[in-house]
Amino acid sequence: MREEPEKAVKKRRFMITDIILIMFVLAIILPVAVMLVWTVTERWAWPDLWPQVFSLRALDGIFQRSEVLTKLFASSIIISSAVALLSVAIGTMTARALVLYEFPGKGLVYFLTVLPFMVPATVFAMGVQITFIKLGLNNTVAGVVIAHLICSLPYGVRLLMDGTAAVGARLEEQARVLGASAGQAFFRVTLPILIPVILSAFCMSYIVSFSQYFLTLLIGGGQVKTFTIVMVPYLQSGDRNIACAYSVIFLCITLAVFAIFEKIADRWSRNTDTAFYT
Amino acid sequence: MKKRILALLMSTVMVFGLAACAGDDQKKEEAQKEETAGDEKTSEGQGGKEIKDMTFDELKEAAKGSTVTFYGWGGDEVLNKWLDDVFAPAMKEKYEITMERVPMDIDQVLSQLSGEIQAGEEDGSIDMIWINGENFQSAKENNMLYGPFVEKLPNFGDYIDAESEDVTLDFAYPIEGYEAPYGKAQMVMIADTAVTPDLPKNTDELLEVAKANKGKVTYPALPDFTGSVFVRNVIYDICGYEQFLDMEADKETVKKAIEPALEYLRKLNPYLWNEGKTFPDASTTVDNMFADGELVLNMTYDAFGTSIKIADGTYTETTQSFQFDKGTIGNTNFMAIAANSGNKAGAMVAINEMMSPEIQADRFDKMKVLPVVDYNKLSDEQKEAFDKVDLGKGNIAQDELLSKRLPEMPAELVPIIEEIWLEEVVGK
Repeated sequence: MREEPEKAVKKRRFMITDIILIMFVLAIILPVAVMLVWTVTERWAWPDLWPQVFSLRALDGIFQRSEVLTKLFASSIIISSAVALLSVAIGTMTARALVLYEFPGKGLVYFLTVLPFMVPATVFAMGVQITFIKLGLNNTVAGVVIAHLICSLPYGVRLLMDGTAAVGARLEEQARVLGASAGQAFFRVTLPILIPVILSAFCMSYIVSFSQYFLTLLIGGGQVKTFTIVMVPYLQSGDRNIACAYSVIFLCITLAVFAIFEKIADRWSRNTDTAFYT
Repeated sequence: MKKRILALLMSTVMVFGLAACAGDDQKKEEAQKEETAGDEKTSEGQGGKEIKDMTFDELKEAAKGSTVTFYGWGGDEVLNKWLDDVFAPAMKEKYEITMERVPMDIDQVLSQLSGEIQAGEEDGSIDMIWINGENFQSAKENNMLYGPFVEKLPNFGDYIDAESEDVTLDFAYPIEGYEAPYGKAQMVMIADTAVTPDLPKNTDELLEVAKANKGKVTYPALPDFTGSVFVRNVIYDICGYEQFLDMEADKETVKKAIEPALEYLRKLNPYLWNEGKTFPDASTTVDNMFADGELVLNMTYDAFGTSIKIADGTYTETTQSFQFDKGTIGNTNFMAIAANSGNKAGAMVAINEMMSPEIQADRFDKMKVLPVVDYNKLSDEQKEAFDKVDLGKGNIAQDELLSKRLPEMPAELVPIIEEIWLEEVVGK
């Protein structure tokens, strides 16, 4: 008798979390499923539950352009990876400076690093464009990478600051006491522990860059072509099966790239781990 | 504390500002140096002649081996494919010119262009632009376009009726040789005859259709192109069109003239989708709502697009496009050249090719775009290429469509009407 109410509570709690979980999963799975159906759907009129007319128009179109699309993907992935790499490198250094050191104007530097969070890209884009034209950076890949960095750095810095604060300086100090150089202490002690945070920051920066439309268009001048530049006009055009086909590809490529990042990060931290312990 | 941060912030902003100014001057000097250097180079390369003094053959020669960028809306898969798979290879083969299509909305094209011009960029990235209407007017008035250039192009002289208002005026704004015709558009309405057997022939009958299909009729919210032209058509149907062609761009005058049409639109509201409190954001949304059966009426600038959608299966076999008896508004869309284009010669060669009878016939055949060439100027052989095009299902015959073609209003009136619509019609 005494145990029963407790059990009931436990059960109900389980059900609530379950329902929430299912709802979250559905909120992600359902749109993706509908998107998959739309890639081969031409007409799906109300009130039918199933599309009336199917066609391979969108997929045909994409296969016909597979060569161009492959190039687009290669350039998109390279640009975004470069952005993510730079963002993590700069982010790590900035985070260390802000967390581990005291210097005048620290508050201001912190404020400036998160400023792009508060000011939408559309606001500063025109200024960036004019400045870049004067510097000769417009319509170049380098210009696009730098412009993307403006948007992705705040994420990198924020995430890495939390990571750096959690790791702290103590382990490094310990390593220094045991005779490691400053470089060794960072690369062989702090970095491996930071890998999970670095991975998050990397992925976040990557996706911010990969899905950046407006800035890429403005700074790249349409000459630097990324997948998003080609995809967004279709999304806006309301041609749903082509838009969905492109979105599905976008999703698959992003997932694949993330899986690869995870693998690399995993291997890297494990390698250093063994080196560290032997 | 707060004050101190603010002061610090302001001083940094000022320091940055000053630094930027200093940088500016230096850059300008450098740019000027480069400019003169660039000028020397180009004049050498083209035998000391400027673009505007060159004959077309010299332009062709100068453009050989170059790349032309073509900026324009990129949401039409059929058009994109045609530009990439038909037009680009033709240009490569005939003139050794590489065409690069850049999908971009006209607002962004113009903002990029104005940015480049403000920064003093001489070798601009934008060559050809797909443009018309208010955008053309504002670009031309801000000296963002190169011209006049059309007189130089042989196909313009040979096949285009240079006197027709479709070619001399763009939304009643004089073109003066700053853009060349690309394709013609005309607004038509679309309905499924299986759902609405009696297609409305005027605004009164349209009201009856809306009453019979309460909540299933609407139009895109202005300033969407298509929503805007639909409202102008309603105005023409009720108030006539002649008075608007030379109307002063004054809000009070316009409002007085269109008052009966506003009255009608307000009367229509209660029977519209969401009772006219809100309107779909874009014509593409209305297209999809119509295809989904959520609406019984659609409208488009793409006069012969219905047959393509029926062939694709997006629309039912019984879908039919139609016009009001008094006609519908038609306009032309154009190609222009950026004032700072780095390859004006190449752009002119490409624009000339786009106006050739072969290319125009192919566009008519594959995309059902109304051709811009003058039928009477064509040889029999060329005429045949146009005659044999099958318009497919659901379209209005070309003769009938063009016989009921009404001119666009002056470009300045368009934003005024859009503003009045927002104040006087939505939710009223």
